[in-house]
Amino acid sequence: MSGKIAAIMLGCALLATTAVAKEHPGKEQILKDGYQGPKTCETCHPGKAKEFLGTVHWKHASKVDHVDNLNPNEEHGMKNRIYTMCNGNDIVNNLKEVPPNALGKTKFTGCNTCHPGDHASDVGSTGPQAEQAIDCLICHSSKYDFSKRKPIKDKNGNVVMTQDRSTEAAANIGRPSIKNCMVCHEAAGGGAMIKRGFSMAKDAEVHVTKGIICVDCHQVKNHKFPTGRDPNNWAHDGIYMTCVGECHTSKPHTDADYNRHTDKIACQTCHIPRTGGAFSKDFTKWEKQSNGFYEPSTLKREVNETAPVYAWYNLTVSNTPTFIGPKGSRTDGKSKIYPFKVFQGKAYFNKKNGQLMSMDFAPPISNGDSLAGVASAAKILGIKDYEPVPGWQTIYFGSNHQVTPKNKALTCANCHAVNGVLDFKELGYAAKEIEKLTNPELYFEKLLKLQQEDE
Amino acid sequence: MKKISSVIIVFAIMLAASLTVISTASAETIKITGVISKIEIAADQKSAIAVIKDNKSGESISITIADELTLDKLKDKRILEGDEIRTKFEKEGDKNTSKMFKKTAGC
Repeated sequence: MSGKIAAIMLGCALLATTAVAKEHPGKEQILKDGYQGPKTCETCHPGKAKEFLGTVHWKHASKVDHVDNLNPNEEHGMKNRIYTMCNGNDIVNNLKEVPPNALGKTKFTGCNTCHPGDHASDVGSTGPQAEQAIDCLICHSSKYDFSKRKPIKDKNGNVVMTQDRSTEAAANIGRPSIKNCMVCHEAAGGGAMIKRGFSMAKDAEVHVTKGIICVDCHQVKNHKFPTGRDPNNWAHDGIYMTCVGECHTSKPHTDADYNRHTDKIACQTCHIPRTGGAFSKDFTKWEKQSNGFYEPSTLKREVNETAPVYAWYNLTVSNTPTFIGPKGSRTDGKSKIYPFKVFQGKAYFNKKNGQLMSMDFAPPISNGDSLAGVASAAKILGIKDYEPVPGWQTIYFGSNHQVTPKNKALTCANCHAVNGVLDFKELGYAAKEIEKLTNPELYFEKLLKLQQEDE
Repeated sequence: MKKISSVIIVFAIMLAASLTVISTASAETIKITGVISKIEIAADQKSAIAVIKDNKSGESISITIADELTLDKLKDKRILEGDEIRTKFEKEGDKNTSKMFKKTAGC
């Protein structure tokens, strides 16, 4: 490791430690006056509430110009997307109480359960009421009592989301910790580690092992979060991030041969060799659970049990009813090879126009009737002319977390091998090229030398 | 005499090793889904015991939780009494040690 990287690592570790230990200014005032929601925060941070309402975390959508078949003048995201990891969205699966199941039980469910508001001011809402509905502490408090955040019916019968606005939670604020982020980001898609299938535990992510937390890399500016380029993550705050920057250079290895690869191979390809979570779901077939509710049948693995699929990706996205994934090729001059978690989901398509249909989960959760869910969603969306037929959609999820220690990253022999992790034919190489690419001549001397050093 | 002592030592080592193997082999991995009826966090905050009512058998099972991530979820009440969870635990004698402990509910 170079001195510069070591210094940055140490700095990050110290910052992370400081973030936990350092007391936020104004604690005494909060303890004296109590916490009155965002207006308390705005005493020292004026304009931040309004600023937050313009972000993807609040709107669950943004204009998107890198994905095929979308109107670039409209906003797209979890708010309104239809795809087969989550066959619903914030509109059709607005937080609600599901009808009683056969046991007479009911429960609250909805895609916007994670929205950091109070549900009365919902996804994309604006104005003074929305500003005061923001749950600042769920992201910023290290003492948030999650038992206080739950959906309930108010006196008018509306479903609202309560918050922990206690003085204790407010007195323990700071930069968001990994826990603050993962509260929502690990629970998406129908359960813990289902959707993206990565863990941010110390033993699973080398950055976390070194004391680095989410917001050290996702360096927030005015509540806008830089993100990577997952082909299935469309909404963005207009800023992107890569590994190359403050911590890593574009030629980060001491080995020149590895550095030659970085023009065509993304860092993640070698340094994130495993992924996990759900790899297939069938929204046409709901399974009865022992509690009497139904869940879409799901095939899943633990966080490190899935080998990724590799493809060229030029950071633009193919989006058709049956496929969402990377565009690119080895010849376009823009693409690199990236790892992806491939997910395949079954849901209903409209035979009349070939489009994927959405599903309101309330009916099938209650009684397993998926077609009733499609009918309810169609009604909510004003779709009258439809004929639902089951079909499959393939989705490529970016594999951008769970970075492995460098001694466990892929090396020459993992890829340059017959039946190695890279399918060179699928990546566009001719038979003669593949023969050369899988010849041990490429790496034998280097690996032999390393082996001798190890012995 | 020296020879006899050596034989006894070797025999003792073999016996200890076989007992270890038996002990390891006797740890059984069990998966259940059920509602948490009770959570007790240890005074030193380093472990917790959750009582789960198995949906299938109706039996209440005490499970010891020691992994940091799950403990944290119990402490800040992301996982509560009344929540349904799916757990995988190792049963060794009277002790059940959690290897996986997740809420069944998603969004």
